[in-house]
Amino acid sequence: MELKDQIVEALKEVYDPELGINVVDLGLIYDVDVDAEQNVHVTMTLTTPGCPLHDSIVFGMKDRVQEVPAVAAVDVDVVWEPAWTPEKMSKDAMEQLGF
Amino acid sequence: MFPQALSKSETDIRLPILFILFALLSFVASQGLLFMDAENVVNGFYRTPLIWSAAHLLLLGWGTMVAMGAMYQLVPVAFLVPIWSMRLGYMQFFITAVGIVLLCGSFLFYMDGLAVSGGITVIGILLFLFQMAMSLRKQQQKNVMTLFVVASLLCLFLTIGLGLLLALNLGLGLSVIDHTVLLKTHILLGIGGWFTLLIIGFSYKLVPMFALAHGFSMKLSNWVFGLYAAGLVASAGSFFFGQPLLFIAGLFLLFAAFSLFALHMRQIVRKRLKKRLDKGFMFSLGSIAGGWFLHLLAVLAATLPEAGRAFGWILYFYIIIWITFTIAGYLYKVVPFLWWTYKYSTVAGKKGTPLLKDLINDRTAVVTFSLFIIAALGIAAALAVQANVLFLFSQALFFAATALFLMMIVTIATR
Repeated sequence: MELKDQIVEALKEVYDPELGINVVDLGLIYDVDVDAEQNVHVTMTLTTPGCPLHDSIVFGMKDRVQEVPAVAAVDVDVVWEPAWTPEKMSKDAMEQLGF
Repeated sequence: MFPQALSKSETDIRLPILFILFALLSFVASQGLLFMDAENVVNGFYRTPLIWSAAHLLLLGWGTMVAMGAMYQLVPVAFLVPIWSMRLGYMQFFITAVGIVLLCGSFLFYMDGLAVSGGITVIGILLFLFQMAMSLRKQQQKNVMTLFVVASLLCLFLTIGLGLLLALNLGLGLSVIDHTVLLKTHILLGIGGWFTLLIIGFSYKLVPMFALAHGFSMKLSNWVFGLYAAGLVASAGSFFFGQPLLFIAGLFLLFAAFSLFALHMRQIVRKRLKKRLDKGFMFSLGSIAGGWFLHLLAVLAATLPEAGRAFGWILYFYIIIWITFTIAGYLYKVVPFLWWTYKYSTVAGKKGTPLLKDLINDRTAVVTFSLFIIAALGIAAALAVQANVLFLFSQALFFAATALFLMMIVTIATR
């Protein structure tokens, strides 16, 4: 498995503590970029600006990605454009929310 | 362990927790005092030391302290600004808490101490207002929520100013402006201005967030603000100029604004992605309907020739059903956020880390919130038929519900 795929799998273990859905299925991860030195840059968003769990989720993601073997350093960038929309969620996430 | 560094959207959660704990104890104590003065409540004699003390414990000790604590948590996350000074926050907490305890004690035991105890409380609240002004001025993009919160803070400032004048009237026998005009405006700006504007403002943040609502319009919120602010100005003006028609117009504007707010909340909730809502949150949403009904009753009562006692009851239920129940419901969502951030934020993403729903017990919540509703209905029936025994029983039930609510919140901290 490529390092990028390993990172995405690792991120599936980081849950939004309010919704109980992992950040990947929730559609919060916009991009995972790995450079030649194995430095990882994650671009992500949150379901709402000013989410009280902002720092906790970002901290949890950094911590989990750092545990992936071969990762040198992790940087997480939270962006608000494009804004998160429900369409970004996976089918599993929709089902968990009661759809 | 606390996170090592606080970012601009985080706050030291020990401070909001201190406020909330003080508020919960005041809530329980206020209901105990009301139980002790049941006969006067039933007979509509509200100007007694026990009821004054209970009212200030409920509105300052519970409502205002919980609102302050929530703001220390919510302002950084909702407005993306740091709290100006946490040291001032702790100082402000202790001064306000001491002031409120002394103020409520003065009503009960030493009326001459009102000016001093009221003064200490005012200093504490002024420090809070200064703290919020210094924090909010850093907000880069102001929005309608800023408008609601700033207007509510302005109303709090005016309320305490009027309260201080009332304390000078009572404590030192000075009379600058007519006592009744001061008291009515003090109540109007405290209840409708400070609490309602603040709750409406933060509802625009909390409701979409708790319901995970997306794709709704915010257009109605400007109308809600404009009409509510106009209603407050007209109602206050009617007291100063002695114009009953202006009072009816003011209350009608408040009712119109609240109706739009209720409609807007319904629109937002219908756009939710989270189908199963938490019990505390549903309790808050239900109390919006209660608030709407009480606004309607106030308009109707204003058209009656002798409605003094009716207004006393409307005010009482407005404080209980709209203000207290909304705050209690939101608190049951906010406290788990606080506790989770405190205890689990550094292990987020690790296996075995609980979710927020694991910190709360929905079954106990249903029992507690149902008890609140049954007790409030019992109190309403007791007041309608002037039944002392039913009031005593219902107030005892309400007291038990507040104690259960206190335990329910404290239990979150054991998980």
